[in-house]
Amino acid sequence: MPRREHLLKIGVSGIRGVVGEFLTPALACSFAQAFGTYVGGGRVVLGRDTRASGEMITHAVACGLLAAGCEVVKVGILPTPTIQIYVAATHAQGGMAVTASHNPPEYNALKLFNAQGLFFNNYERAELLDLYHQSDFRQATNEEMRRVITDYDSAPKLHFQKVLAHVDAARIRARKFRVALDAVNGAGAVTTPGFLRDMLGCELEAIAIDPTQPFPREAEPKAETLGEIAELVRSCHRDIGFAQDPDGDRLAVIDETGFVLDNDDVLALAVDAALGRLPGDVVVNLTTSLAIDDVARAHGRRVYRTPVGEANVVETMQAVNAVIGGEGANGGIIFPPVHLCRDSYTGMAFLLDRMAETGEKISTLAARLPKYFRRYGKVAFEHGLLGPLMQSLEARFPNAEKDRSDGLKLLLPDAWIHVRASNTEPLLRVAAEAKSDEQVERLYREVLGLFG
Amino acid sequence: MAVAAARSLRISQVGLRGVVGGGLTAAHVLDFASAFGTFLEPGKAVIIGRDPRASGVMIREGVVAALLACGRDVIDLGIAPTPVIQHAIRRMDAAGAISIGASHNGAEWNALKFFGRNGIYLSTAEANELLDIYHLKKFSFVEWNQLGKLRTEANALDPYLDEVAAVFDFSALRKFRVVVDCCSGTSALVLRRINERFGLGIILINEKMQGVAFAHEPATNKEMVALQLAPLMKPLGADAGFLFDADSDRVAFATEDGTAVSEEMVLPLLADYLLPRGAGKLVITNCSTTALVDEIAARHAGEVVRVAVGRQAAIDALSIYRPEQIALAGEGTGAIMMPQFRFVYDGIAAMLAVLSMMRERGEKLSGILAAYPKYSILKGQVPLVTHRIPALLAALRELYHDGRASMVDGLRVDWPDRWFHVRVSQTEPVVRIICEQRGEAPRDLYEALVEHVRSHA
Repeated sequence: MPRREHLLKIGVSGIRGVVGEFLTPALACSFAQAFGTYVGGGRVVLGRDTRASGEMITHAVACGLLAAGCEVVKVGILPTPTIQIYVAATHAQGGMAVTASHNPPEYNALKLFNAQGLFFNNYERAELLDLYHQSDFRQATNEEMRRVITDYDSAPKLHFQKVLAHVDAARIRARKFRVALDAVNGAGAVTTPGFLRDMLGCELEAIAIDPTQPFPREAEPKAETLGEIAELVRSCHRDIGFAQDPDGDRLAVIDETGFVLDNDDVLALAVDAALGRLPGDVVVNLTTSLAIDDVARAHGRRVYRTPVGEANVVETMQAVNAVIGGEGANGGIIFPPVHLCRDSYTGMAFLLDRMAETGEKISTLAARLPKYFRRYGKVAFEHGLLGPLMQSLEARFPNAEKDRSDGLKLLLPDAWIHVRASNTEPLLRVAAEAKSDEQVERLYREVLGLFG
Repeated sequence: MAVAAARSLRISQVGLRGVVGGGLTAAHVLDFASAFGTFLEPGKAVIIGRDPRASGVMIREGVVAALLACGRDVIDLGIAPTPVIQHAIRRMDAAGAISIGASHNGAEWNALKFFGRNGIYLSTAEANELLDIYHLKKFSFVEWNQLGKLRTEANALDPYLDEVAAVFDFSALRKFRVVVDCCSGTSALVLRRINERFGLGIILINEKMQGVAFAHEPATNKEMVALQLAPLMKPLGADAGFLFDADSDRVAFATEDGTAVSEEMVLPLLADYLLPRGAGKLVITNCSTTALVDEIAARHAGEVVRVAVGRQAAIDALSIYRPEQIALAGEGTGAIMMPQFRFVYDGIAAMLAVLSMMRERGEKLSGILAAYPKYSILKGQVPLVTHRIPALLAALRELYHDGRASMVDGLRVDWPDRWFHVRVSQTEPVVRIICEQRGEAPRDLYEALVEHVRSHA
């Protein structure tokens, strides 16, 4: 029997799907109306990334919000962290970003924020989902109907001021860094060139900064897809290269030799910078590198681990009052003094600041990090696959420390294995890390072998 | 049997209409607009516009999303009168249009009106197909990279007025002092532009468009004319006064002496003006409209075609004849269509026709009306008991068998000098009773009818 394709997912993470047959305007509208009902009316900020369906979905969402009696503030095309910061700064009741983040262009999704511009916690998201399914929405009458207002300009200013407050901008500007940028024609195309050029005094060489054009590469910024920017860094003799995802929360970094740094190493550099500056602990997800533990230990700080997903990391960061966090492999840096959200702009500023402070090349800074080797893979999801796999893994490594909070993670001496089901795609994800390439390869093969 | 006490949502061949929040929701809007995007022939853009109701902003967002999702480019005229929206369809070679607005209903209502590529309402067959698609909810959503684009059109008024100016001589109308009650609706947009562009001095009251608090109920009837407009006629020395509904497709009027005229009079007046002017000899109207129109048509060797009450029957009747056979079509509600304007209900054009008639006749408005014989009409309603309607109608037909009966819409019975019409309302759960007589009011007939209808309730 051929596998059925369910290209729509409505769950505690919100609503996400392939636009057309699956993610329809009616679904987006009712989900927005559920959201408007949940936040109890009031002002809701609405922005989007550049994907082709963004305009259509934004109209559907605005319709649902207005129908629930909300006032809608349209902020246009903006990075997700910029929208979140704007929500908090303007005392809105909540915010919505129309973006499928790093998913391919045919997808779209809604990211939902509370009055503080933060993801809702797990319990709140379950509540919202129930409200959506019950369809018992607030239905504003003509008299209760509020308006749509637009504010395209003030959000980036707010965001960048916050970022610059946590680095020595004068020091960065003085270096006149030669920087390359790949904004994937996403939301960053609108604001990142100004940030790097005007705020941080960089000499910029940029590609994919036309928000009207489709994504020229895979949306997720990872080594295999960043050939063009890596080449640009080499050929134009850049000090560093940055690549964003379509909604500007994820960041990949290319060193001056054109090598795409491991996202875990980028996070480790940011963690090191933050811990050197401020007190507090670190929160990362289960799939993040042990390098973070080493860096934190050097600063005498603790590392908390959470299930994969920005919302999970943020929830714990808030609970333990962490100073920095992130999701290694996903290229996300979360620095609460700017905002409790994944923010590529904080990442860019931190790295440039570190380079300005030390006078070192980015490759040199990365080379000083504790060295680990990682392997990631994915297997098509099948019902009934994960359970037996987890059991055989446990049997295979009886002495490992087990964490079952998100699939199964096995902690070995100086190594780990993590298998879990993706929240967003019909995939099982496999990850392993160890001190040597041979060991990680052996662990990874062993897991794959268990699939039979 | 449970019957909705007050119907707050109506989904029918006429489209979608309801009280926002209480009956009409965003979900209805999305589905209906998606059905329309699926129904239209592929390729061309869809025009949208709205009246100033606050809920129009919400509905617009939903309509835009649904049409874009169906791969339609959308051209938004913003707040615009319905006749202007209809006019833009042919001019811009669009596939059709949606007018967002509940015209003569209170501010708490809203509605979607659908127009095809010829610029007029959908025929009953087309409307049925649209309804089927709506109920089936299988919409032609396109792939993510085939979605439509939205653009706005700032000036749709001037091209519309170009066409109006080709029919009416604006310069000749400058001599009239005209007062208009815009009732917080879209007519102010057109009338201000007419003043600017053609040098007219139309005085506007209630001209500020309102989203929530309309100056008064936007119905075009005698009571509303008497409210603010009629008392201003003498103090302002006005020659004529007009009242428009929120989306400018209907009109009512007051004479220079301060009389609020019955909305029934718009159609006979314009029949009297238009029948002798053109080749068209047919007046299309419904079974509830005054018999004065028959008398006037007879004077001009014209003929009245009576159809069921409601827009849909009129639209279907229009398609039976060639445009040049028709002088005009309309209802006793002040909604008039003229062949010169491709059969669009257009209050602005109706107003200009009345003024042109005054100019050509060189008579005061009250004088023109005074020349018509007096007809007296009585209207009432009785709560509906649906299952007894057929028995009621059969009993009435039997009782009044000496008259000429028509079952086009409920029962209408005609005698040489009087008639009655008993029918089920399409908008409220009531039976409507109308009777009219040349001369004095047929009070005995009316009371007997009310009694009969009540006895079946």
